[in-house]
Amino acid sequence: MNSPALREALLLIVLAFVPAIGEAIYFRDKISWQSPVPASEMVKVAQARAWGDNAIWVDARPDNEFDRDHVPGALSLNEDRWNELLPQFLALWSPEKKVVVYCSTQGCNASREVAHRLRSEAQLKDVFVLEGGWEEWLKKR
Amino acid sequence: MRTVFAFTLSILLCISAQAELKWEQTTIELNPASGDKQAIGHFKYQNVGKTPIRFRSVQSSCGCTVAQSQKNQVQPGEKGEITATFNIGGRTGSQIKTITVKTDDPAQSVTALTLKTMIGQVLALQPTFVYWKTGEEAKPKTIIARASKDAPIGNLDVVSSSPDFLTKVEPGPGRGEFRINVQPRQTTKPVTAALTIKTDYPKDSPKIFAVTARVTGASVAK
Repeated sequence: MNSPALREALLLIVLAFVPAIGEAIYFRDKISWQSPVPASEMVKVAQARAWGDNAIWVDARPDNEFDRDHVPGALSLNEDRWNELLPQFLALWSPEKKVVVYCSTQGCNASREVAHRLRSEAQLKDVFVLEGGWEEWLKKR
Repeated sequence: MRTVFAFTLSILLCISAQAELKWEQTTIELNPASGDKQAIGHFKYQNVGKTPIRFRSVQSSCGCTVAQSQKNQVQPGEKGEITATFNIGGRTGSQIKTITVKTDDPAQSVTALTLKTMIGQVLALQPTFVYWKTGEEAKPKTIIARASKDAPIGNLDVVSSSPDFLTKVEPGPGRGEFRINVQPRQTTKPVTAALTIKTDYPKDSPKIFAVTARVTGASVAK
């Protein structure tokens, strides 16, 4: 391949990337299937682990995923069986403990929804969403 | 000059390219009735091109929604649909789920289908949990119950699973509003109760809701 053709091909590729990069920057916080969560309501695995016994871990994934494996001591609380599982969680909740909610991936919205409902409907404080979810916890197991 | 021409041509080709899989609608809004367990959306399509189109994958943004294609390949002129079944479970309010469809259609290989479901509640309770710390003054706490506009609820019946809590229902300030006052008899030891709230509407199948009341093991700071 001669060099002018290669140069033009590269130029075309660069030109094609310009609008794509612009859109990616403009919509970086507007991924439609994720509700935005303020940074103050997120927690990293290391921080959540450092809370030790002062944290209650909540697994927002479906029952079959929870049954397969979960954070040791975590309580299952998903929206499929919300009305059944919420009273079980509230019976074990303690006001001095922080609540860490996780689901399966960063793209998963379940932990955000569960954390939101615990804050708004049950009016609990100190409810956090685990950054990176279950996969991130597994990496740092 | 040639570069500019090639770039312009590629833009024009992109604009003029028509997707061969034509969707009747890519957004469906559903309003399931109270008590429904599922909401089902049918995304209909037709292959308006001259070559068969093969589905590569159909994926939902949530485990609560199962999306299925009737067939793997769509012949020219053939119609079909993707069925999206949303399991309502204990979800409430507005739910938006996305289904990503990938095909070998050269003009549009990825299509996002949106299923919007509005799950109405006959009665909204706020909060759904009241608690006292051990040693805290046993003052009553209030749960506000609001009936939806189309639910003419005249009264609520509240029953505690434990005799350690007293409950009293009063009319609220607005139409269809109620104040449920909950008070523990004592806060000297931990106790938990499920409060069952029963509506007087619909007459033949009253709705039942639950909230939790607790005196927790945590003590008040002295």
